[in-house]
Amino acid sequence: MSENALRQHAEQQFAEELEALAKLDDKPRPPNWKLSPWAVIQYLMGGKVSKLEIKPKYIGNQRLMEIAVATLATDRALLLLGVPGTAKSWVSEHLAAAISGDSTLLVQGTAGTSEEAIRYGWNYAELLSKGPSVKAIVESPIIRAMKTGAIARLEELTRIPSDVQDALITVLSEKTLPIPELNSEVQAQKGFNMIATANNKDRGVNELSSALKRRFNTVILPVPDDLNEEIRIVQTRVADLGRALELPAEPPALEEIRRVVQVFRELRDGKTLDGKTKLKSPSGTLSTAEAIGVINQGLALAAHFGDGILRANDVASSLIGAIIKDPIQDRVVMLEYLETVVKERDGWKDVYRACRDVV
Amino acid sequence: MSVHLFGVRHHGPGGARSLLRALRVLEPDCVLVEGPPDANDLLPLLGHVDMKPPIALLLHAKDDPSKAVYYPFAAFSPEFQAIRFALENNASVRFMDLPQAHQLLADPTELVGARHASPNAETESDASSDANAESDDVAADPLGWLARAAGFSDGERYWEYLVEQRRSDEDVFAAILEAMTALRLESKMLEPREALREAFMRQTIRQAQKDGFQRIAVVCGAWHSPALNLEVADAKADAKLLENLPKVAVSSTWIPWTFGRLARSSGYGAGVTSPGWYAHLWDLQDSSSRNVVSHWLTKVAHLLRAEDLPASSASIIEAVRLAETLAALRGSPMPGLDEMNEVSRALFAWDSDLPLALISDKLILAETLGAVPAETPTVPLVRDLEAEQKRLRFKPDATAKNVEFDLRQPNDLERSVLLHRLRLLGVPWGESVGSSGKGTFKEAWRVQWHPEFAVRLIEAAMFGSSVLEAATQKVLEISSLTSHLPTLTGLLDDVLLSNLPNAAQLVMARLEAAAAQDADINHLMQAIPPLARVQRYGSVRQLDTKMLEHVVSGLVLRVCIGLPNATASLSDEAALDLYPHFLELHSAIQTLEQPSLLEAWRDVLQVLAKQLGLHGLIAGRASRLLLEQGVFTAEDTANRLSYVASIASDPNEVAAWLDGFLRGSGLVLVHDDALFGVLDSWVQYLTPEAFIAVLPLLRRTFSSFEPAERRDIGQKVKTPKPISVTRANQNVDNARAEQVVPLISQMLGIPS
Repeated sequence: MSENALRQHAEQQFAEELEALAKLDDKPRPPNWKLSPWAVIQYLMGGKVSKLEIKPKYIGNQRLMEIAVATLATDRALLLLGVPGTAKSWVSEHLAAAISGDSTLLVQGTAGTSEEAIRYGWNYAELLSKGPSVKAIVESPIIRAMKTGAIARLEELTRIPSDVQDALITVLSEKTLPIPELNSEVQAQKGFNMIATANNKDRGVNELSSALKRRFNTVILPVPDDLNEEIRIVQTRVADLGRALELPAEPPALEEIRRVVQVFRELRDGKTLDGKTKLKSPSGTLSTAEAIGVINQGLALAAHFGDGILRANDVASSLIGAIIKDPIQDRVVMLEYLETVVKERDGWKDVYRACRDVV
Repeated sequence: MSVHLFGVRHHGPGGARSLLRALRVLEPDCVLVEGPPDANDLLPLLGHVDMKPPIALLLHAKDDPSKAVYYPFAAFSPEFQAIRFALENNASVRFMDLPQAHQLLADPTELVGARHASPNAETESDASSDANAESDDVAADPLGWLARAAGFSDGERYWEYLVEQRRSDEDVFAAILEAMTALRLESKMLEPREALREAFMRQTIRQAQKDGFQRIAVVCGAWHSPALNLEVADAKADAKLLENLPKVAVSSTWIPWTFGRLARSSGYGAGVTSPGWYAHLWDLQDSSSRNVVSHWLTKVAHLLRAEDLPASSASIIEAVRLAETLAALRGSPMPGLDEMNEVSRALFAWDSDLPLALISDKLILAETLGAVPAETPTVPLVRDLEAEQKRLRFKPDATAKNVEFDLRQPNDLERSVLLHRLRLLGVPWGESVGSSGKGTFKEAWRVQWHPEFAVRLIEAAMFGSSVLEAATQKVLEISSLTSHLPTLTGLLDDVLLSNLPNAAQLVMARLEAAAAQDADINHLMQAIPPLARVQRYGSVRQLDTKMLEHVVSGLVLRVCIGLPNATASLSDEAALDLYPHFLELHSAIQTLEQPSLLEAWRDVLQVLAKQLGLHGLIAGRASRLLLEQGVFTAEDTANRLSYVASIASDPNEVAAWLDGFLRGSGLVLVHDDALFGVLDSWVQYLTPEAFIAVLPLLRRTFSSFEPAERRDIGQKVKTPKPISVTRANQNVDNARAEQVVPLISQMLGIPS
């Protein structure tokens, strides 16, 4: 927890906003919540509290956030679904930060996530010397969340092997975690809940059992549905990240962002914005998050190797890198796009030339 | 003597509930409802036990049923409840709008304007396009205006928030009257038709006062309510305005209506997007808001379970909690349909859209067909249809359903005939879809009853008073107006399927006459296949095909005579056009299995095969068909090919001939060594220049073969097989073989 950390936790970065909201929030709060549900929504969607401008954390449909917050308020676990890069983890982090003031109780789901990571492991030195005892238990973030009545986060739920996933069922339905070795259990305190995220593009990785599905309310986070909204998201995030990474370049021109977002949208939707030309879609998801990455990388290039102003050739290489995930098929898709759409478009000559140099 | 104005929104459970409460307090002795007085006689029928909404009042001009207007009512329509209330409490009830006798006269452009202002009436010439055209017109959607002023996205949601969700007993009508008075001040001048309508409404109220009623309740669209205040209107001006209006004779009746037509998505101006949800609210009007929510979500769960989607009771409980929390979070008194849908998505849908589509279709739209009592006056044709439907146990249903008939069953056959007849009458209750079974005795239909069929039936009533009679008359009329052969053939097909013996006779006579006059051999050729099908398989439908046989054989003979001449000099394109008809005709004649026709056809084929100057495509195919028929032996065919492919022939002609001969089947080449040999040696004899000239045409023919066939042919070319004649073993022990015969006969069903 230092000022030099590359990336600060949400509750650190937005401590001021959270504090201001907590001070003015007079609505009823569910037990152990730092803010009322209304204030949580305001924290996520942005607005003005007394003199402080609250930055919007989620740019999109407020109704979705309302469902998410209402779900957590009814002590149901929340599952955020969506294709990669639709701000699932971002929303989950900010929800945990706003509700519990702590977004660090995190389990990252991978194919190698074991039951110990979800329940508890053992400190074997302690176990061998003294036998099973409470002291010998290594607690998972979930147990810590249960004990403190906080929000636990579980990333990439569907990547966790099915038998390990099912360890969650007792936690979510009984709100206790038995420790049979000690003949005891951990009981969740009020305020405990879980936010899981999962990616619905990679189907069938480890499909949830219906028993587990039933314990989650799902909220699907969509890809932004209009160009300007997506541009706004990219712009805001790039500005934030640029500050965090201390990039010396000028803030990116809106025009360049607009073009990157447009390229992404057109390829993702398989047609040009005016709906006149049909396009092939590449294999990647081309999410908003990737667009942010492209702009950021372009900024870094411009700052360190260019004249500090974001230009088409600064963006080109990372743009191509983001789109061509499959060296053969995606290359064909991109070339077709460049030759049939970009080449003809007014004022896009620089993009075309820069991209053609790379592909 | 007092007049009480109740401005309502035409369909809305909250409004209907508030209205009923207010009426109970008021105990009126006369209820006036916005609606056409032409139908006053039909009002008592609304109290009938068999009257089940949704229903609509249908009015049409007596001499022109296509000029029609509907007034739909659902159980949750305030007007419907007001009329029922009056009937149950022995209050007098009347419609008070300008009679349709005057309104139906107007020309269509004026009608559109009328529909805007009178959203309760839907004209037949209804088009959804103009519904939004004048969204800034206050009169079209007064509540939309108020809603936008209050920051709601549309009037629907606003009304739901203000009235439908309100479960208290306050009087909302005074507030509505006040709001509308303010709104009307903002609006433009009244259209002349509007002025007429409102004048008539005022006159009706005055008449009711004159008739001595003490407490008069006036139920009208919210927009009109301020105009009906008698204190500010001038009775003499109204009377003058209404003088000498032109009139037309009008018939009216009640017809069953559907929720689908009630929904806005059907283009009906004053529709509601979610009739199922409104019906739900209306049904549960007296229970608590939690009850409404939990009932709805339980319905959702049951629906999903019926479709094999997971939806447990535990999920319902959680769904109710989430819905209530969500409503609280959004500061509304009870969860609305939006919340319900969001909750359903979060709890039941996982990441699929299917459950929500189901919910939207089955619960929110909730396609329901109303019913009207048997006493409702209507035309004899409709009576007859109802009787038929009852007799065949074949009830109209508003939801689309697939049915399959086994035409060997008398009941199924009659149902099929009924559907075909109705189609002829322009009432496509059933739509023929491909049957899954192979048998010709199976027939698959997709049936769905649309309420507008009621009008079509009334239009069709001019043809006759029973379905049979009307269909026959309609066919006679169509057939007498055309001599276009394909049209007549199609009509005859329909007539035979509809089992209209009288009409069939006449259509066939017309057909024969037309065939005699029609010089276009293509028309004749196209006419045969459908008729041949009917004749061949007609027996399943128990049709009398004797007559048909006569017509078909006449047509075939005509074609046989005309074909050699008609094909004498064909361009490539014309030959290509003729080719498919030629094939179809051939298979049609095969299915007829009539020796005399087959004989005539074979003769024609032989003529064609040898005809000089005939396009190669047709000549080649004719030879091939003769080979298949066994008229030409393999040797004959080989001779033919060799002759055609002689050095003297024009290579283009040869290639066209080959195309016709081989198109679509390389198998003959693979298996017929003699034929293959002829072709092979012909190719070998071609000069290099000639070979290059025909190569594209040959390639075109060969590319139509299956890859496997081409591979086999290629294989055969590479490895010339010695021609081997396989011969079955001739040493058969007859005594032993005979022992097997009875069993095989039994298996094949051959009577021994």
